[in-house]
Amino acid sequence: MKDLYLIAQIADRGVAIDGGLVDSVVDIDAIVAVPHAPVAVRGLAALRSRVVTVIDTRVALGLPPSAIVHRAVVAKIDGHHYAFLVDALQDVAPLDRRPLPGGHGGEDGWSRGGTAMVEHEGEPLLVLDIAALIPVAVADAA
Amino acid sequence: MDDLLQEFIAETRETLEALSGEIVLWEAAPADRARLDAIFRFVHTVKGSCGFLDLPRLGRLADAAEDTLAAVRDGRRVPDGALVTAVLAIVDRIGELTAALDAGQPLDDTPDDFLVAALAEDAAPPVSPLMQAADSMPGVPVRAAGRSVRLGVELLDRMMAGMSDMVLARNELARRLRDGEIDPRVEAALDRLSATVAEMRDTVTRTRMQRIEALFSPIPRMVRDVAAPLGKQVSLAIEGGDVELDREMIELLRDPFVHIIRNAVDHGIGAPEARRAAGKCETGRLSITARQSGNQILVEIEDDGAGVDTARLARKAVESGLLTEAEAERMSEEDRVSLIFAPGLSSRDTVTALSGRGVGMDVVRANIEQLGGRVRATNRPGQGLTLTMHVPLTLSIIPTIMVGAGAQRFALPRQAIEEIVSLKNSAVRIDHLGAGRVATVRGERLPLADLGTTLGVGGEPTVLAIVATRDGHYALAVDAVLDTEELVVKPAAPAVMASGLFAGQTLPDSGLPLLLLDPGGVAAAAGLRGVVPAAAEDDTAEEQGLTTLLFDDLDGRRRAVALAVVDRVEKVAASAIGDTGGRLHLSLADAVVPLIAQGPLPAHSVTLLRLTDGASEIAYAIAEAQEIVSLPRAIAPARRAGIAGVALVAGEQVELLDAHALFAGEVPMMDCRPLCYLRSDGSDWMDVFLRPVVEAAGYRCVGSEAEAHGASVTLAMDDDPVALADEATVLLSRQPATGGRGIYRYDRAALLAALATRTGKAA
Repeated sequence: MKDLYLIAQIADRGVAIDGGLVDSVVDIDAIVAVPHAPVAVRGLAALRSRVVTVIDTRVALGLPPSAIVHRAVVAKIDGHHYAFLVDALQDVAPLDRRPLPGGHGGEDGWSRGGTAMVEHEGEPLLVLDIAALIPVAVADAA
Repeated sequence: MDDLLQEFIAETRETLEALSGEIVLWEAAPADRARLDAIFRFVHTVKGSCGFLDLPRLGRLADAAEDTLAAVRDGRRVPDGALVTAVLAIVDRIGELTAALDAGQPLDDTPDDFLVAALAEDAAPPVSPLMQAADSMPGVPVRAAGRSVRLGVELLDRMMAGMSDMVLARNELARRLRDGEIDPRVEAALDRLSATVAEMRDTVTRTRMQRIEALFSPIPRMVRDVAAPLGKQVSLAIEGGDVELDREMIELLRDPFVHIIRNAVDHGIGAPEARRAAGKCETGRLSITARQSGNQILVEIEDDGAGVDTARLARKAVESGLLTEAEAERMSEEDRVSLIFAPGLSSRDTVTALSGRGVGMDVVRANIEQLGGRVRATNRPGQGLTLTMHVPLTLSIIPTIMVGAGAQRFALPRQAIEEIVSLKNSAVRIDHLGAGRVATVRGERLPLADLGTTLGVGGEPTVLAIVATRDGHYALAVDAVLDTEELVVKPAAPAVMASGLFAGQTLPDSGLPLLLLDPGGVAAAAGLRGVVPAAAEDDTAEEQGLTTLLFDDLDGRRRAVALAVVDRVEKVAASAIGDTGGRLHLSLADAVVPLIAQGPLPAHSVTLLRLTDGASEIAYAIAEAQEIVSLPRAIAPARRAGIAGVALVAGEQVELLDAHALFAGEVPMMDCRPLCYLRSDGSDWMDVFLRPVVEAAGYRCVGSEAEAHGASVTLAMDDDPVALADEATVLLSRQPATGGRGIYRYDRAALLAALATRTGKAA
């Protein structure tokens, strides 16, 4: 059983994102910063009449922030719309999801977001679980 | 024909909804002709339409009810409980039949005869006493039945989203057109488009809003229906029906709300005998209030029943294994009350037909929390229970004021803004007070927060917004006030909301997302004392302790004294106070009373507290009386004689005077030496060279601005850019007599003489 995956480029690596989660792929224009938000929250952006929370995917993966902000993958998670920044979008393809090979430890951020792998044109790609990239809200004292 | 039938059904339904409250109100005040007329009009209309649409069964019911009501109108019959119940039964049946027609289902064939028979004058007497509903709301106008259609909320959502897209497209178009040469005809067309779009937007936005009345209007009938079979009497007071809420929110609130009300009537309010035995009026009171408070809608449901027996509730929780014995022991009263929201626990042993079935309070709480709201119970044992639902303003339209801070703009709820003043205004002053700052606006002191600094976005404040929170006012410094706009605010993602600074997000006409600030959250983030976030609101309801007079003492500290000890507050001339017999005394017309001063006395007039224990009297000199406050019960012990303890008043530490010690004469001689602030230029010279000299001359010295409050004199170098040559400052120059502004710093005699003139102390 093959599912549709978006093949995207993040920090010079190809990743696959479950197409079922993705609402649309957009070009992000202006971003309004959110003071006192977790670092991975790049800010808010308007998408037609909707406000989306822009997640800097690189920061969420424990990498330095993205230098250029351009394309993003939009998904609705727990009732809120998020835009995940990607460097580039390469393809959409039906692929087979496979477990990660044994012994795959991965770097910190990547291991949090990566849940499985797919093979695309002979190249293994990490399946990125974008929902896991959303910073967990720190319980507010108030 | 089909269209006519549909219209009849829709109209009948609408009218029925509006009518259910009217009937009960009419029952409470049978002489109220307006309500009787409204009901009469309804059955009359139904009868007329039925004849035309060939619906004989509905027609017969309406006809019978009309006859009876006509008799009442003519004064031939008196509307008693039986009559009202019978009319209600008919109205209900009309509703059922209409619903069946609408759904295209066959009409159920229970005979209607008994309903009609019940209208007869000699019908069986009523089985339940009447409820005395809503005496308190005689002025409610009769609602006109409007024509309407039902729309799915989803459709409205789509309309709203489309509308916002349209606004953005219009903006984009306007921007593009402005780039080039613009034909006046095009401009006129664009203007017209803009006006239409704006108007449409208002209309579409408003379609989502509904007065909370929609939730309230069935209540009188419901309360009656619950109370009557139980033989209870309930008077109902409803307030705030005009508060507007998102339509969807109202739908979602309906079930929890109905349940809470049923519970209040069923479990809360007791039977008349029980109430009489408890010394209460036989008729129970149920009051429902809605109001908007900051970024929330508050709905309060208060009954004057027996309240919750928390001890029994805790016992039941232990029995059912929800809590251990020890846990129940340790629980605060407040936590015990919230056990009513625990699944599977009822404060009552028997389950009644009504409230016992369906959802429990645990489901109520879950439902409300799902909406992003919360519900809390306030118990007054033996006096009743208040349930407060806080519902967020989600999707509600709120008027906002846009402010700028740094390079960003934010929205503030307009309702929270008391006033906007320019920092250039001469009536505004900003002072440093310890680590924080205070703004003085026309004599009123307010804690100050700087929006740019608090949010870490920088900026140059030019304007102060006076912000009201539930816990007091504060001044918020912003760079600019840009605009006002009505916005549809939606909750932001949890990661954005977590900081507590924001109440939601929105998309204004600019097309750039905008965050709505939570004024309470901003105050908390800025570390303002005396202004705490909204969530702590109910702590004020806790038991209050001693009533005290709050005042600023001569040494600059905020202190309190039990009000009962204070005979009066008065101003006397400084000359009435003498340092005689080894201590300070105040001369009165016929006596001399001891005077206590905890700091240097002002030179001209002195404000005094005249304290008395009933027999003797003492005077206590203060700087300024502030206000009368109730101290919290929790008072931290003090280590200093004369101070009974330290309490927290509006987030500020306040020393409570020990009246006992004052009258026992145990207060040690206070430090009456004038306070001298040494404004150091950064070198140690003042501390090392000057301080011993000044202290030896009988002054108290402090070296930091934070401690300098209440200083009688300031010593500063004449090249200090901030120091002013005023009457409370002595300037020192580094060189002897070169025509500089100050006194040569090694000229001891001149220095001490200058200090003495400034403080009025003998040199």
